[in-house]
Amino acid sequence: MTSKTSSPRKGGANRSGATDASDAIPLRYGDDPYVWACWLYYEDGMTQGEIADAMGVSRATVNSYLADAREKGIVNISLEPARLASLTIAQELKRHFGLADCLVVPSDDNARPLIDRLGVAGAMALQKLMKSGDTLAVSWGRTVMSVGEHADVQALQDATVVQATGGTTAAFSYTPELCAASIARAIGARCVGITAPAIVKSRELRQMLLDEPLLQEQFATLAQANRILFGISSLRPNSTIHTSRFFESVSLQDYLAAGAVGVVAGRFIDERGRPVAGPLDDRTVGISLEMLRRIGTRIAVAGGFDKVPALLAALRGGYANVLITDAATGHGILRADGVTGLDTRISQKPKLVQAPSSYRTHVKKFLNNPNEVVEEMLDGVVRAHRDYIEPINGSHRALVAKSGPRPGKVGLVIGGGTGHEPCFLGYVGKGLADAVAVGNIFSSPPPDPIVQCAVAASGGEGVLFVYGNYAGDVMNFEMAAEIAEEKGIKVRTVLTTDDIASSPIEDREGRRGVAGNFFIFKIAGAACDRGLSLDACEAVTRKANLRTYTVGVALEPCSMPQTRRHNFEIGPDDMEIGMGIHGEPGVTRERIKPADDITDAIMDNIFKEMKATAGDRVAVLINSFGATPLMELYILYRRVAQRLAAKNIEIEANWIGHYCTSLDMVGASISILHLDQELTDLLHHPCETAFLRIN
Amino acid sequence: MQTFSNANSGAIVLSLAERIIENRAYLSEIDGKIGDGDHGVNMAKGFAMAADRLKDRETTLSEALDTLGTVLMTEIGGSMGPLYGVMFTEFAEKLDGVPAIDAATYSNMLHAGLEGIQSIGSAKVGDKTLIDTLVPAVEAFDGATANGKSFDEALDALVVAAEAGRDSTRDLVAKIGRASRLGERSLGVLDAGATSCAIILKELSLGARARIA
Repeated sequence: MTSKTSSPRKGGANRSGATDASDAIPLRYGDDPYVWACWLYYEDGMTQGEIADAMGVSRATVNSYLADAREKGIVNISLEPARLASLTIAQELKRHFGLADCLVVPSDDNARPLIDRLGVAGAMALQKLMKSGDTLAVSWGRTVMSVGEHADVQALQDATVVQATGGTTAAFSYTPELCAASIARAIGARCVGITAPAIVKSRELRQMLLDEPLLQEQFATLAQANRILFGISSLRPNSTIHTSRFFESVSLQDYLAAGAVGVVAGRFIDERGRPVAGPLDDRTVGISLEMLRRIGTRIAVAGGFDKVPALLAALRGGYANVLITDAATGHGILRADGVTGLDTRISQKPKLVQAPSSYRTHVKKFLNNPNEVVEEMLDGVVRAHRDYIEPINGSHRALVAKSGPRPGKVGLVIGGGTGHEPCFLGYVGKGLADAVAVGNIFSSPPPDPIVQCAVAASGGEGVLFVYGNYAGDVMNFEMAAEIAEEKGIKVRTVLTTDDIASSPIEDREGRRGVAGNFFIFKIAGAACDRGLSLDACEAVTRKANLRTYTVGVALEPCSMPQTRRHNFEIGPDDMEIGMGIHGEPGVTRERIKPADDITDAIMDNIFKEMKATAGDRVAVLINSFGATPLMELYILYRRVAQRLAAKNIEIEANWIGHYCTSLDMVGASISILHLDQELTDLLHHPCETAFLRIN
Repeated sequence: MQTFSNANSGAIVLSLAERIIENRAYLSEIDGKIGDGDHGVNMAKGFAMAADRLKDRETTLSEALDTLGTVLMTEIGGSMGPLYGVMFTEFAEKLDGVPAIDAATYSNMLHAGLEGIQSIGSAKVGDKTLIDTLVPAVEAFDGATANGKSFDEALDALVVAAEAGRDSTRDLVAKIGRASRLGERSLGVLDAGATSCAIILKELSLGARARIA
């Protein structure tokens, strides 16, 4: 970065600003315009425009002074430790419990009671989460009431607030009616009550009440709720539950005896979040736990150390997906759930911490109709690769190689879900696969297109099915194999199981098939093309599978076109080793390391299983999961080549790029095929497909 | 003896489809915690396709179940397509030609569906799959009728057991399917298949119960 050298004097002489503008830098700043600008900005609180006037420079210059001052370390911006801790805890809570969002108020602020601070935070959440047309269910309690007192959401249209439970005695000031009314007022919503007691005398009475048209109407509104705000009560002696006399103490004892640790919207849960049955269940008028869990946005607001067990139970039970709490409570929850090392993380953070990035919940994609992505992609594929593939009977879900199948040749059928492009359809063509069955995103094709592929690929000598070892694929391909056999086509199957991170060696058959598919398909296709028998094709394909070793590492999750969301989270400093190609969480999650360290860990694993000796030959595939660029793949390849060279293992061939992806996942996999003479010959056998051509 | 009519009960399958479509986002969300998050989307697609073929038609329950099963089996793929496809076509087969469905027929139907699933999948109770919902539900139904309970009471017992079975998956470690790679990390999360199975069994049984004459 170039630093600015323009003189602050020019043009400044004639100006008269709010301060004692002068044509020279005041003595106290020496001759450093950066310090002067920073002082005016940070200490005197002037705007950049005012500073420009005072210093006699342009606004843009002031702006660059301020930016450069941070670069140069003249100004250090650090987050105050308590705030930093609360951000870290919020991030960890979100990650650990898979929450949609989490807000943690710092614990340092003793000036205001916790209830007030939680109320302010809850109000912020409402501001951010509530949209016009929403129906918000509201439970009751001191904290919920505090949210109502602090919230002020303007400009919402057609919002509805509905009581989540029936009413209670007005002996306290945070009844269900008052809470709902207060929140409704604060967000400008219509308020719908539940005009019955929260707990009635008998099951029969409850049923009679629920049969009343008025209550049915109110419950219908409750059933429409797409968001809910609720507190969480502990069952400790001093909790609201006891003091409010909401429940009779006799019944409470029953629930405590059954292991209840908390109450969510008037319902009892145990430490794992399971509903606890008891005498009040049939007498409670209000939202059930099941109904609650079906609501999209479930905002729990609660804090205080005594609530740790209840909060943990509610999080384990999945009742909340947005949590608002305080730092001490959040810390307690994480510790109670076995999260360690949090304290070091809080204190070890570098000084300059990025503020939490703006809440980006959706990933941008090129889409028309999200439900039609597969069809639209296939339309494009068929148009793009008409030289290699064509639809079978007009269906894009079953594609056959243009010059693949021929009489006397074993047919090779591959297939699987979409989202892995160029797998699988990119490997269909002469010398490789004869037909491919195409499923939905990350989801096996049904039997019908597989059967069509078998028929199209059959040249009278039998058909070989080769696909990844996933429960869904196995079921559908097995059904298809049965149907094909009924049609007189002999079918053999080889399941690919190259992902050595997915199961220990003792359970090799349980492993899943990933990017190493590429090698296994290639060998199988060459064997078929050479006119080998079905037995021989199957045998050499099995050998290729046994000698292919893959380990993948994901850095960021992929996002589904239908939801445009990540379907899981990987922490900001983490990586996931052994990540599946459908985003199945991997085997271990570790702190991210330098590329060479990651490559070494992968290669160490592969060397453990691959009994290669000096002079052996291998083929290497460095595969991107979708979003990792070639630049990084080459960095991985460099280290793989170094490691192999150190063992005097020769690289016979390599492929680097997108060969088996997982939508837009960031990450890569390394596959090694341990060659012998037969495999080497087959590897070099010519083929003509959209994504692999060897001649 | 309590029975309900097979004729004109095809509407039960339509409400089944409605429940699944309603729960599309929820099912995908729980699936996303330990799987790939597509369970709701795929289920909703298949059930909507079947509902589309059934709407505006008066069908027997067995016809409607057969349509649903066939659509799931042949057009959905994934693992849920074949599993639920087999279950519903087996259900349909056992009800086919039975004008008045009684508890014994209903039990036959449940067993046939369960056996169908077990013939293509290898999951057992405790593996954190839909089997954890289905098996206790069938057992509860049979147990209730064996104890002299009426058909409608047995259906109630089935629903309770199905939901308890679903909830039991929260404390199980996945042993099968993609989530099994997670080991202990699958603890604390409901299984999506067990959850959709509870929705299906509940809606089917409530529909039957409402029609018992």
